[in-house]
Amino acid sequence: MPATDNQGSFLNRISIRRNQFIPIESSNDQEQENLELFQRHVADRFADLLYIHSSTTTTAVTNSNSNDHSSATAAATATTDSPSATHDTHTHPPLPPQLLSISWFRNLLDTYLCCEAEFKAILVSGRDPSQFSRPPLDRLIPDFLERSIKALDICNAVTHGVDLVQHWQKLAQIALTALNQTPLGEGQVRRARKALNTLLTSMVFDDKENANNNLHGRWTERTRSFGRRVGGGGGNNKDRTAGNFRSLSWSVAKSWSASKQIQTMSANLAAPRGGESTALPVYIMNTIVVFVMWALVAAIPCQDRNGLATHFQVPRNLAWAQPIIGLQEKIGEDWKKKEKKGTAGLLEELQRMEKVAHSLVEFADTFVFPMEEEKEAELASQVAELAEICQKMEEGLGPLQQQVREVFHRIVRSRAEVLDVLDQITKMSAPVPY
Amino acid sequence: MDPEKDKPLPQTSPTSAATTTATDDNNHDHNTTTTDHDNNIINNDSSSSSNDHRPDDQGSPQQNLGDDTTKQEAEPDPDLDPQKAETIDSDINEQPQSAADQVNLQETTPPFSLDLNKVSEEVDQYISTLSTSKGDESTPPAEVPTFVHQFALLIEAKIVDYESSENPVKWSQLEQEDSTSFLEATLRLSSLSKAISELSSEHKHAHFVNRIGGVLQRAMSYIEEEFKSLIEDYRIHDSDHSNSNDTKPKQPTSSTPNEESDENPPPESAPVEDNNFPGYSEEILSDLLRLSKAMIAGGYEMECCQVYFVARRNALEESLQKFGFEKHSIDDVQKMHWESLEREIANWIRTFKQCASVHFTGERRLSQALFSDHPLMSESLFCSLSQGVILQLLNFADAVALTKRAAEKLFKFLDLYEALRDILPIIDNLFAEESLTEVKREASMIKGRMGEAMISIFVDLENSIKADSGKTPVPGGAVHPLTRYTMNYLKYACEYKETLEQVFKEHQKIERADSATGSDFNYQSQAAQNPNNNDNNNNNAVVKQSPFQTQITKVMDLLDANIESKSKLYKDHALSSIFMMNNGRYILQKVRGANEINRLMGDSWCRKRSSELRQYHKNYQRETWGRLLSCLHPDGLMNNGKVVKPVLKERFKSFNAMFDEIHKTQTSWVVSDEQLQSELRVSISNMVIPAYRSFLGRYSQVFTPGRQTEKYVKYQAEDIETYIDELFDGSAAQMGRRRP
Repeated sequence: MPATDNQGSFLNRISIRRNQFIPIESSNDQEQENLELFQRHVADRFADLLYIHSSTTTTAVTNSNSNDHSSATAAATATTDSPSATHDTHTHPPLPPQLLSISWFRNLLDTYLCCEAEFKAILVSGRDPSQFSRPPLDRLIPDFLERSIKALDICNAVTHGVDLVQHWQKLAQIALTALNQTPLGEGQVRRARKALNTLLTSMVFDDKENANNNLHGRWTERTRSFGRRVGGGGGNNKDRTAGNFRSLSWSVAKSWSASKQIQTMSANLAAPRGGESTALPVYIMNTIVVFVMWALVAAIPCQDRNGLATHFQVPRNLAWAQPIIGLQEKIGEDWKKKEKKGTAGLLEELQRMEKVAHSLVEFADTFVFPMEEEKEAELASQVAELAEICQKMEEGLGPLQQQVREVFHRIVRSRAEVLDVLDQITKMSAPVPY
Repeated sequence: MDPEKDKPLPQTSPTSAATTTATDDNNHDHNTTTTDHDNNIINNDSSSSSNDHRPDDQGSPQQNLGDDTTKQEAEPDPDLDPQKAETIDSDINEQPQSAADQVNLQETTPPFSLDLNKVSEEVDQYISTLSTSKGDESTPPAEVPTFVHQFALLIEAKIVDYESSENPVKWSQLEQEDSTSFLEATLRLSSLSKAISELSSEHKHAHFVNRIGGVLQRAMSYIEEEFKSLIEDYRIHDSDHSNSNDTKPKQPTSSTPNEESDENPPPESAPVEDNNFPGYSEEILSDLLRLSKAMIAGGYEMECCQVYFVARRNALEESLQKFGFEKHSIDDVQKMHWESLEREIANWIRTFKQCASVHFTGERRLSQALFSDHPLMSESLFCSLSQGVILQLLNFADAVALTKRAAEKLFKFLDLYEALRDILPIIDNLFAEESLTEVKREASMIKGRMGEAMISIFVDLENSIKADSGKTPVPGGAVHPLTRYTMNYLKYACEYKETLEQVFKEHQKIERADSATGSDFNYQSQAAQNPNNNDNNNNNAVVKQSPFQTQITKVMDLLDANIESKSKLYKDHALSSIFMMNNGRYILQKVRGANEINRLMGDSWCRKRSSELRQYHKNYQRETWGRLLSCLHPDGLMNNGKVVKPVLKERFKSFNAMFDEIHKTQTSWVVSDEQLQSELRVSISNMVIPAYRSFLGRYSQVFTPGRQTEKYVKYQAEDIETYIDELFDGSAAQMGRRRP
C-alpha cells in the first residue's frame, strides 16, 4: 500500500520536535518566536488539508494515521491504533471534504488567506523598514512581488475556469432534467446524450485546444467545414455536437500559458540557508503561493497546462513543508494520470462528472425502450450521483469563485502595502524626467 | 367546470351519436379549406381510414364524459361506433367536392403535406380532448389513435428529409409556409406529449409517450442545430474600427509634457455607431425568435439558453477583438513598454465606451427580443454575458493600475479613470440593482486603485522635485528644465482639474499628511503664512482650499524652493537674479496661459509672483548696473571747482572696462522670453543711457580732442544702447564662454 508508506514518511517528517523548526540565531526573540509559530501554523494548516484527503480518499488503514490531525506530533504517535482511528473518522459527523473537491479548495484558499495574513504581519509589522533595502530582503521582496503578479494572472484564469465548469454544470443539468422524466423515453435519453456529448466534447476540447494554444474561434471555421450533418439522417440518432462544437473562448491572452506561468513562478525558488531568519518567511510564503496556484491550475480548466507535474518541486528536508510536499506528491500523481487520460481537470467533482457522463452516454447508446428494471436501478444511481455533483457545484462554485477573487484582491492589497514600505525607505525619488 | 374547456365541444350528449356530431362539426369548420380533401383521401383511399377515426370517436365522448360526469354510460363501443362514424363522415365529405379538385391537389402537393394538415386537425382535436379530461383518474385511458402515430411518422419523415446527409435543408432555405407548418407541428407534438404524459403514466401509454417524445426530441434537436447555426452566424463589421486614434479632444498632447507639440485631434467621428451590433438581419432575427419560441415551448429552454450564451459570448469576444482590444495578462502589462501600453489604454477606453453604448444595449435588445415572454431568462442571460465582458475589460484596468508608477502615466491614468467613472453609471443603469454586484464591487475597487496610484504619482513628483539637486547650473541663467517639466506637467494636470479634485477627495488616504509619505509640509500653516491667499477671498479661503489645490500649491512651493536653491549655484548674484527672473517668468506665463491652472492659483498668487519678479529685476539692476553707474557719479571728480583729470580718466577707464565686461558676460546670458528681454534692455537703457549721456556731456570736453578723447571716451551713448540691446541673447554662450 503505497499510500501508507507515504503517510508514514510524511508523519516522520513532520513529527519533529518543536525547537527543530528553527535552527536560527537571532537577536530578536519576538521575531524568532513569531517565525517559529508561523512555521508551525503552516505545517498544521496544510496537515489539516492532507488529513482531510487521507481520511476519505484512501483506505481505512491509512485513515488511521491521521487520527489527530490538529497535531502532527500526536498524529505520529497514532500510527499504531488503526482500528480506533478508523472508527473515529466514521463517527465524526461532518466528513471532511475530499482532496481536490470544491470544498477542499475552499479550505485551501482559506488556509492561504490565513497564512498570508500571518506572513504579512511577520514581514511588515515590527520590522525596521530599512531591512527592506538590505540583503536578503532587498532581493527577495521584489522577487516576491513579481511572483504575486503572476499569481494574479492565475487567479484570473481560474476565475474563468470556474465559469467554464459552471457552463458544464448547466449541460449536466440538462441531462439530469431529461433523465428524470418518467417514463423515460428514447427522446429524453437522446436529449440527455446530446447534452452530455456536448459536455464531454467541451471537456476534451478545451483541454486539448488549450494545450495547443490554438484558440479564439479559429478552429470553429475548421470544424464547421467538415459537415455539421455528419451521419445526420433522421433515423440516425448520433449527436452532431462534435461536428460543430463551439465552446466558450478564454478570457486570457492567447499566448498565455498556465503551465509556463507556474514554471516561472517556481523558478528561482531557493530555500534560504540555515541562518537567514529574515529570508525564511518570504520563502515559506512563496512556496505556499506557488503550491496553491499550482493546485488550482491542476484542478480547474486553464489555458495550457502541459507538463504541470514537473514544474514545481519543494525541497524535501524542510519541516514545515512536509504536508505541502505530501499534498504535492499526491496531486502530482493524479496529474500524471490525468495527462495520460486527458481529462478536464483534477477537481474531484469534475472527474466524477466526466466519469458519470461517459457511462451515461454509454447507457444512452444501448438504451432500448422500455428500460429493463436492473438498468433502471443502475441509471437511478448514476442520475443520483450526477445530481449530487451538480448540487455540489451549484453550492460550491460561486463561493469558490468569490474566494479566488478574494485571494486576488488580497494579493493586490498586500503588494500595495509592501510597496508603501519600500516607498518609505527609498523615498521613491525617481529623477524628474526632463 | 372550466368554461374554456367546454367550448370546443358543442352541445353533445354522452352517446356515440354525439361523436358524429363532433366530427361533423370539425369538418364543417374546415369546409373552406383543403382539409376536407385530406379527409377524403384518408377516408377513401387509405385502408387504415377506419382505424383513423375510431380513436377520435372515442376521444370525443370521453371528453364529454368528463364534462357530464356520466362515465359509465359513455363507455364507447369500439366495434360499432367507428363504422357509424365513418359512414357519416364519408357521406359528408364526399358531397361538397368534385373529383377534379382532388386530382388537382394531389398533383401539386406532396401527399405527406396533404395528410399532415388533416392529421394535424385530428391531433389538435385529440389534444383538446385529452386535456379536458385531465384529472379524471377514473377514466380508463383509451388506446392512442392511429392518426397520432401517423402524425409522428409524418413529422419524423420531415425531419429525416431536412437532416438528410446528402441534401440537408437549412432553416433559411425553407419557405415561410413550410417553416411555419414545421414549427406548428412541433408545437403540436409538444402539446401532445405534455397532454398524454399528464394524462396517465399507465403502461399502455408509455410506448406512445416514448414515441412522441422521441419525435419531439428529434424535432427539437433539428431546431436547436438550426438555432445554433443562425445565432452563430452573426456578422460583425470590422471595417470602421481600424482607426486607433484617441478620440479624447481634451488631450491633444502626448503625455510627456516637455514636448509641447499640439497634434490636432483627428477630425474624427464620434464613436462609430454600430447599429448592426448584435449582427443579425431582420430576417434572421425573426427566424431566431421563432426557433427560440419553439424550443421554449417544447421544454428545451435550457438548451436554448446554452446555445445562445455560448454563441453570444463568442460574438462579444470577437467584436472586442475586432475593436482592437487585445487581452493581456497582468504580467505582460507590467512588462509592456509605456508607448505600447498607452496605445492599449486608448484602445481599451474606446472599446469600453463602445461596449457600454452599443454592445450592451444591443445585447440586451437581442435577449429581450428573443426571450420576450421570459424576462427572467432574458435578464439572466444578458447579465452573465455582460458580466464576462466587463470583468475582462476591468482586468485590463486592474493590470494598468498595478504597473510601476511613473509621472508620465498620470494622464493616461486619468483618461482611464474618467472612462471608468463615466461608464460605470451607464452600466449600473443597464442592470438591475441587485445584479452584477461582483462587477460593481470590482469596478469601484479598481477605480480606487487608479485613484490611489494617481495620488502616489503626485507624491512621487514631490519627492522627485525635492531630490532634484543637480550641481550644474543652467548656462546663462536660462529656464531650468525642472521648471519647464513641472509647469507643463501641472498645466496638463490642471486640464483634468475636475477629475483630479474628485480623485483627491475620494481616494486620498488620511495618513497622507504624515511624514511617512515624505511630506512634512503643513498645508494649513503654510497657507496661513501666506497672506495673499486671503486677498480676494474671505478669511475662510485657507480652509476652503481643495485637496487638489493644496497639492498643486505644494508642488509649486517645492519647485520654488528647489529653483531658489539652484539659483545659489551661480556665483554671480546678477546672474542668479536673471535665473530667478527667467524661471519665475516662465512659471507665471504658464499659469496665466491656461485658464484652469490660473483659476486654481488665483489672482493674488499671480500678483505676488509679479512683485517677486520685479524684486529680482531690481536686484539685478542694482547688482550689475548700480556699480557701473557709480563710475559716473560726480562725487570726488571735482576739486575746488575743477575736474580732477586723473580721477576722471580712471572713471572713464573703469566704466569702459566694466561695461566691456558686462557686455561680454551678459550677452551670453539667456532671457528667452522676448518680453522680459526687452523689458530688461529698456530698463537698463533708461537707467544707464541718460546718466552716461549727461556724464559724457559734462566731462568729455575735459579731454583734449583727438587721441586723448578717443582713448577715454570709448563709447558714445548710442553705442551703449546698441550694446545693451545685445545683452541676454545667449549668443556668446555659443562661443564657449560660460562664466556663471
